[in-house]
Amino acid sequence: MAAQALAVAASHDGYSAIAFPFFGAERRGAPVLAFTRFGEERLRVRTQVYEPHFVVVLDESLVETVDVLAGLRPGGMVIVNTTRAPDRLVLSKKAKSATVDATTIALKHTKQAAVNTAMLGAFAKATGLITLEGVEAGIMEVFGRRLSKEIADRNVAAARAAYEATRLGEGDSGRVYAKATKWLPTAQELPPGLATPPMETPFGRVGVGSSPSNLTGGWRVNKPVLDGAECTNCLLCWFYCPDGSITRGEKIVEIHYEYCKGCGICAAVCAPKAIHMEREIEEEVKA
Amino acid sequence: MIEMKPAVKLPTTGERRMVTGDYAAAWGAMVSRPQVVAAYPITPQTMIIEHLAEFLAAGKFDAEMMRVESEHSAMSAVIAAEATGVRAYTATSSQGLALMHEPLFVSPPMHLPIVMSVVNRTVASPLGIWVEHNDTMPQRDTGWMQIYVEDGQEALDMVLQGYKVAEQPLVELPMMIGMDAFLVSHTIESVDLISQEDADAFLPPYKPVHAYLDPQRPMVVGAAAPPEYIQEVRWETDLRMRRAAEFLEETDREFGRKFGRTYGGMIETYRLEDADVALMTLGTVTSTAREVVDRLRAQGERVGLIKLRSFRPFPAERLQDATAHLKAFGVYDRAVSYGVGGPSYIEARNALYDTTTMPILSFLAGLGGRDVTPQDVELMFKKTLAAAGRGRRASGVHWIGTRGVSP
Repeated sequence: MAAQALAVAASHDGYSAIAFPFFGAERRGAPVLAFTRFGEERLRVRTQVYEPHFVVVLDESLVETVDVLAGLRPGGMVIVNTTRAPDRLVLSKKAKSATVDATTIALKHTKQAAVNTAMLGAFAKATGLITLEGVEAGIMEVFGRRLSKEIADRNVAAARAAYEATRLGEGDSGRVYAKATKWLPTAQELPPGLATPPMETPFGRVGVGSSPSNLTGGWRVNKPVLDGAECTNCLLCWFYCPDGSITRGEKIVEIHYEYCKGCGICAAVCAPKAIHMEREIEEEVKA
Repeated sequence: MIEMKPAVKLPTTGERRMVTGDYAAAWGAMVSRPQVVAAYPITPQTMIIEHLAEFLAAGKFDAEMMRVESEHSAMSAVIAAEATGVRAYTATSSQGLALMHEPLFVSPPMHLPIVMSVVNRTVASPLGIWVEHNDTMPQRDTGWMQIYVEDGQEALDMVLQGYKVAEQPLVELPMMIGMDAFLVSHTIESVDLISQEDADAFLPPYKPVHAYLDPQRPMVVGAAAPPEYIQEVRWETDLRMRRAAEFLEETDREFGRKFGRTYGGMIETYRLEDADVALMTLGTVTSTAREVVDRLRAQGERVGLIKLRSFRPFPAERLQDATAHLKAFGVYDRAVSYGVGGPSYIEARNALYDTTTMPILSFLAGLGGRDVTPQDVELMFKKTLAAAGRGRRASGVHWIGTRGVSP
């Protein structure tokens, strides 16, 4: 929705604009891609954007696995949601950077960790191409029409706050990524009919039993914290966890943070109130 | 940092807003004033029906909106509604259209001019939600007219044009309007939302000629028929499909006079007049191909483009005229007829057999929703240029960007 709101903002400011998502299994927190083009006289190319002028990263944990600067044009800019200062970003190459703690801003203004509208404010500030008024118009159109004016107002407040809080600088190079991160077999290598037995590929396990290699802990904003002294091992949390991220133990349950998406259901159902949710700040990104 | 050019002002007759293709289609349906809408949700069509429900709830239009338990029921419901003499609309996608396959055959012989938006999505297996035309193309022989659009504006405009063509007393055939999953359905762009007043002036209320519900004139519809009757029904349906071509052209011209934009009728050509070779595309790849034509022209290559808008009826005569001067012709498809090539390539070869001996190449790309990039389209042009002047032997099927097979 942020890519759409950005397109509306650009249109409001007098540009031609077009936006679309690469629609996968979109859920809040899951890695997604969306594209916005604006400004050219005629926007005809209807493909994904491979060489962006700007990359907006809504979740800092993505930079650990994805080279977000891979296609960035010379002179382009990366805008990241992080508590870090722009000069403390370490990515695959040196690049103009802007940072903002959009998660804190979103939690304050929208009561949810939906950072997309705050990042629109950051985009307006960092690029100077879109006005804050345009961003407000975009949020009103996309969120106000579909949800409610009240929700749109809260998101506008988040965008304004992020606009003020965005810092500009230059990030550093030094982060190294694996050359290819996806299994892309040839037509001849592909298991016939995609009937896929357990297979080891250079990019990890695929097929039956490959789910454990799909770490989803990075989707999380809030983390469940277990007080072992209070846990009665009643297994309500184990039963309700939609992702099987909680396992049974001898005396107490165990939460597996490499998979937990932070939905908070375990804390909500915990009878002895042994689980509570805590905001999780990204640890210093390993260079 | 980057130079920004001003936007082009586009002709606007109604309210111009940034909306998705699904919204545009729903708007087109709304201002067409269908009296019955029956549909079952499926990604990426769902928003069309959600928006129609919003319009209905907001009192923007008045229709009987039927919640049904499957696409088979949705199609059966709109067939029944049309048979009572009212205008009906539905929308679906992929597996949903496959489930409609059986009732699709019912309405063309019965003169029931239903209009349906189909968000083109791959049909399993493998299961996918992205664009492929292997949902609509296999419906070729059901008797439905079949249109492919390039953007949200066309998705809207064609619903209005669609009813106008479909309800012509000499046509009375249903029409499906294909729009690429996500690249149209979920893409937000500037669309002229035609006002109800303008839509009413273009599309008058539906007056059924043959099948309708009237106690003063009772009739049997959907009867069983022995062999003495069916062959004549087939011939008459075929005749109406042939006649539809002329009305598709005329309706688009009339639309242009009223709204200031036309789509070229059954095909649109781009920089074709002095071209040596041309590519025919359908759906959203056309937009990208226009850009590629300009780039190649700038390099001195004499290339042109044909946008195939109508797959049924197939514009054989217009294609014959448009390609008469070419030395080679490439046909892009986003579906494959296994063992032969792209469906519109097969059609084009059939249409051009009498008028040309130039090579005609089939290009398959973007299946399962893979991005078709300007580089992919450029490769299609290069292969077509290389075949120029080499006669029919240089024809063939080319899988573009297929790992282990071709670049």
